[in-house]
Amino acid sequence: MAFIKLNDLEIEVEDGTNIVEAAKQHGIEVPHYCYHPGLSRPANCRMCLIETYAPPPGAPPGTPAVPLRQLATGCTTSVRSAPPERKLDEKYDAIVQTDSPRVIKAREDILEFLLVHHPLDCPVCDQAGECDLQDFSYRHGHDKSRYIEVKNVPPKKDLGPDVLLYSTRCIVCTRCIRFCDEVSGSGELGLINRGSHDEIDIPRSHEGTPIQLLDNKLAGNVVDICPVGALISKDFLFKSRPWFMEKANSICSGCSVGCNVTVEYKTDGLYRIKPRFHGDINQHWMCDDGRLGYHYVNSDDRLQLPLKKIDGEQTTTQWSDALTLITEKLSEVEADDIVVIGSAQGTNEDNYVLQQFAHDVLKTTQLGLFGQQPGEEHKFPQFTIEADKNPNTAGARSILGSANGNVVLEGDTLWEKVAGAKVVYLVSGVPDRALEDAEREALEKVEFLIVQDVLPSAVTELADVVLPGTTFAEKDGTFTNSTGWVQRIRKAIDPPGEAQVDWEITQQLAKQLDGEIDYHFAGEIANAIAENVEGYGDATHQNIGDAGIKLA
Amino acid sequence: MSDEIIQIETPFQFNEENKQVFEELIGRYPVKEAAMLPTLHLAQRQEGYITPAVMRYVAELLEVTVMKVKDVVTFYPMFFEEPVGEYVIRICQTLPCALRDCKVVLEHLKAKLGTDVASETNLAKGTTDDGKFTLMKVECLASCDVAPVIMVNDDLYKNLTPEKVDEILAKLAS
Amino acid sequence: MVQEKRILYEHLDVPNINTFDVYRQHEGYTRFEKAIAEYQPDDITKMVMDSGLKGRGGAGFSTGLKWSFVPKDIEPRYLCCNADESEPGTFSNRYVLEKNPHLLIEGILICCYAMGIETTYVYIRGEFTLGKKMLDAALKEVYEQGYLGENVHGTGLNINIYTHPGAGAYICGEETGLIESLEGKRGQPRNKPPFPAVEGVFMKPTVVQNVETLCNLPFIVGNGVEWYTQMGPTYGDGRFDPPKPDPNTGTKLYCISGDVNEPGVYELELGLTCTELIEVAGGLRGEEVKAVIPGGSSAPILTHYELDTRLDFTSLTLAKSMLGSGGIIVMNETRNIVDCLLNIMKFYAHESCGQCTPCRWGTPWVRDIVQRIADGEGRQTTITRPKFGVTESGRWGDTGETEEIYEDLDLLESVANNIANVDTMTWNTICVFGIAVSWPAVSYMRKFRPEFEATIRENKLVTLPVAEATVPPEENYAYQQRFIPKEFSELQETTED
Repeated sequence: MAFIKLNDLEIEVEDGTNIVEAAKQHGIEVPHYCYHPGLSRPANCRMCLIETYAPPPGAPPGTPAVPLRQLATGCTTSVRSAPPERKLDEKYDAIVQTDSPRVIKAREDILEFLLVHHPLDCPVCDQAGECDLQDFSYRHGHDKSRYIEVKNVPPKKDLGPDVLLYSTRCIVCTRCIRFCDEVSGSGELGLINRGSHDEIDIPRSHEGTPIQLLDNKLAGNVVDICPVGALISKDFLFKSRPWFMEKANSICSGCSVGCNVTVEYKTDGLYRIKPRFHGDINQHWMCDDGRLGYHYVNSDDRLQLPLKKIDGEQTTTQWSDALTLITEKLSEVEADDIVVIGSAQGTNEDNYVLQQFAHDVLKTTQLGLFGQQPGEEHKFPQFTIEADKNPNTAGARSILGSANGNVVLEGDTLWEKVAGAKVVYLVSGVPDRALEDAEREALEKVEFLIVQDVLPSAVTELADVVLPGTTFAEKDGTFTNSTGWVQRIRKAIDPPGEAQVDWEITQQLAKQLDGEIDYHFAGEIANAIAENVEGYGDATHQNIGDAGIKLA
Repeated sequence: MSDEIIQIETPFQFNEENKQVFEELIGRYPVKEAAMLPTLHLAQRQEGYITPAVMRYVAELLEVTVMKVKDVVTFYPMFFEEPVGEYVIRICQTLPCALRDCKVVLEHLKAKLGTDVASETNLAKGTTDDGKFTLMKVECLASCDVAPVIMVNDDLYKNLTPEKVDEILAKLAS
Repeated sequence: MVQEKRILYEHLDVPNINTFDVYRQHEGYTRFEKAIAEYQPDDITKMVMDSGLKGRGGAGFSTGLKWSFVPKDIEPRYLCCNADESEPGTFSNRYVLEKNPHLLIEGILICCYAMGIETTYVYIRGEFTLGKKMLDAALKEVYEQGYLGENVHGTGLNINIYTHPGAGAYICGEETGLIESLEGKRGQPRNKPPFPAVEGVFMKPTVVQNVETLCNLPFIVGNGVEWYTQMGPTYGDGRFDPPKPDPNTGTKLYCISGDVNEPGVYELELGLTCTELIEVAGGLRGEEVKAVIPGGSSAPILTHYELDTRLDFTSLTLAKSMLGSGGIIVMNETRNIVDCLLNIMKFYAHESCGQCTPCRWGTPWVRDIVQRIADGEGRQTTITRPKFGVTESGRWGDTGETEEIYEDLDLLESVANNIANVDTMTWNTICVFGIAVSWPAVSYMRKFRPEFEATIRENKLVTLPVAEATVPPEENYAYQQRFIPKEFSELQETTED
């Protein structure tokens, strides 16, 4: 640990911490643009200038440290514990001022330079409200510009499928370039021209035709890390002002990596998903599949009422009717003829209640696991997108199989079993799930198929009863990712129509069959999981908290 | 979006002689990327200017992305992304030449060639209609003792006067 | 009159000195042979340190000291020879490359031997096609003669020298910009520390030296430190008590251009005055010296009041200017300083690499302000303040004190100082390009303020007579307090008394 004097504070920080981070840990803002904790540090914006101290050159030991002539950049100034003879003022490892008059003046000057060519088009800029240039100008800048010359007006550019560049707003911090070089490793972005004509661009011919597009699967992150409104997501362009949106911390449901995300929403649906830092999982990043994969939640086609099949036609019905229909059917058949299938898209809580329903109420030990078909794995220098496109395969598998004697069937064995079953209760929740021939044939053979899903799909088409369930954005719960992190998702929006949280649906079925399942909120189920599922002992509602917990 | 990616119909590659030069070049550096500037000079000498095909070829040779090549090409004014005249006339405009009346030489060249001065992003502006000459300004050519100077391709012409310019142009045109 | 002292340039005009045989006849490579026969590598480093040789590229940093920073336990180490001579007004390296490339090669060999370096890159600016051709031809000969390559003359040394062409970027003359460019990237200077001596090209310890610096090495080795230190003044560094010697030893290739009768490169002992140098260069072309740029276009300008300033590292630093690359540009009474500043600012705005904020957007801003002033659109306001006094009519009343305010001059000074502050010598930029911009901008404006003011007032370029155009040094913050350094020997005598 390094003991430093930061302004008037005496603080201790980890060895190797830079001043921007050290100050942030103690609530002091050192404004910065080019510095990003996940990227290399070129120190080119010069915004984080700070005053550092050292003893005067050649002075005898014990001389008090004085400010150095040159200001240093906070992002590249790391502190480290020093040997006793090199301590400053006999006790500090570093003395730093982030609010001296020189520093304050330097910040003002740099901000003035940053704004000379900036169009100041905040009223029509997507970034307004979450823009570092706005915020730092407000807190550290001049109140007026002295620039009266002609501004540079570089063109607006289309960089790739989801990214637009408003070059006029760009402050050339090069975060996006470094992201493409270091994290995605694809290197599509670079600078063109020189000096004040520097522009970010993809490679193009002289006439402007692209040679390569910014189309890697992590491209959307450049929009997040852009400190100004230069890089803009086409998906979010002109959709909403950031301050009108509510935010919920959640987990991406696109694959089994379990990226921490922030879901931003209004009452009418989700607006965007942004990554949230998690040091062991996704760092600062997420992939575009996850980022842009939320649209199904907002779909107008979402199942809003239960459906039942009458003469081969599915028609909407009341919940009470659907539940009665199902319980009647379930009580008609033997336990061995029932297959209950959980979902790798569902939460641990959904699957736990389902498992309890099957084991305790239906007395069947035949459980299945359903989920999205595997996709491609993508490996980047600092990021991986997994082939398993379900957020909770690991969790669902162990929870469904947690009770005595339970067998979790997957793949061909599951479909063989399904083909021979009389009643199948399939909880899906998988958007856009195509069915293979074998799967379709098996499901067609089922006498009475109950499907709980969020969107009409190839699976719901075959169902005798369809129950409208919920997506990740409409419920609380936990996912267990491929590396054993149990992390919480949170309800952002209300389910559409009369759709209900999946475990609640299951619980209602159980109640109709006189089962003793009675939970009130997801956390209660999480505690039940912690109590009863092997390996989840520590994963209580309290322990999971905001950061999640890694299973032993 | 206009997601038309440029189709490179005629791929570029070094001729046999330049391939050998390149092989020798690449051996000089522990990192292939370091051969960027000499390789681009070599390619420009062969092709006349840096086309997308050249950029792609150089990127493959040096195992970097195309953007890294484009990045470098646009940074250094000696690389052209457009066709230039047979003779590229670089006229120094910096202070020591300015003190020796380079403006007169420049105006004379402009009048004589009947063209404007090329800008870095628009070389066509400074190229004569017959494609023989391209006139461009450069920063100090480090020949201030013999100012004003111009550089025509690789050759330096010193102590210029309008008369000398006439002689040079006449010689080149023939 | 001061006589030329040709050492580096001694054999420059010998016919065919660019060939190995002729160079050999003029003591060629004997200094290198002497170095490997008589000295250990560390001895050479010590000789260079003792010689007081300062880097000739611009910063004037002690060469021996620079070498001492290179860690000897990290392999490989590199030498980069900086032949990216782009500072306006500088052209001495060009002649070495074109006429006497073997001298440079010998210098490089000595440096490589001293530092245990096996690979040298000579970064030649792209426009030096002839220089590169001559050096390449010379290298070919030297390889054939066995002074380069594997096991040089059976000594077990492996030394390779490669030439590397630049492509027209001034900033690649900055040592870390050069390194980046050499690595095949944009020539954007790096943050320091780490300095190249520790982490340079390919992230290995690297010595970056100017052509002229390296060309000094054969003579230091060949003729000895004592011979070398007799040339040029050694001052006493007044910051220390007792004073330490501050050497300005050796000769300098002074490049003189502009309004002199015989512009060219003159090799002279360090420490002659501006007046003397102009005299050596055939005298002034014109009636009167208006201004002298002493060290390439980035050096602060000297006025006719300062012509007695000695052209060496210490004296010019004390005069708040610098020797830089030794490019001296002389301007006579017909020159307009606003116009000259505009020319220089256009150069810097074009050459800013654009990496860091203050320089990227500050430099063109400064250019635009100067352009506006030169175009006759500079802003000026006359303010009248009420002042109680005896009016013209002889009564007490408001006499109306007026003051001229030149907003654009204040703006120019402020913007330039925000890039790099010339008074405190601090810069907010990554490299010293920032100070190279604000130094001329602020010094021209402060020292020739009447000419700037007249240009703004009359809305057109106005060239004032020298005496009127120049701000006198007395009581003016444009000038360093006139402080002439004292010779070390004199100081020693006074302290002994």
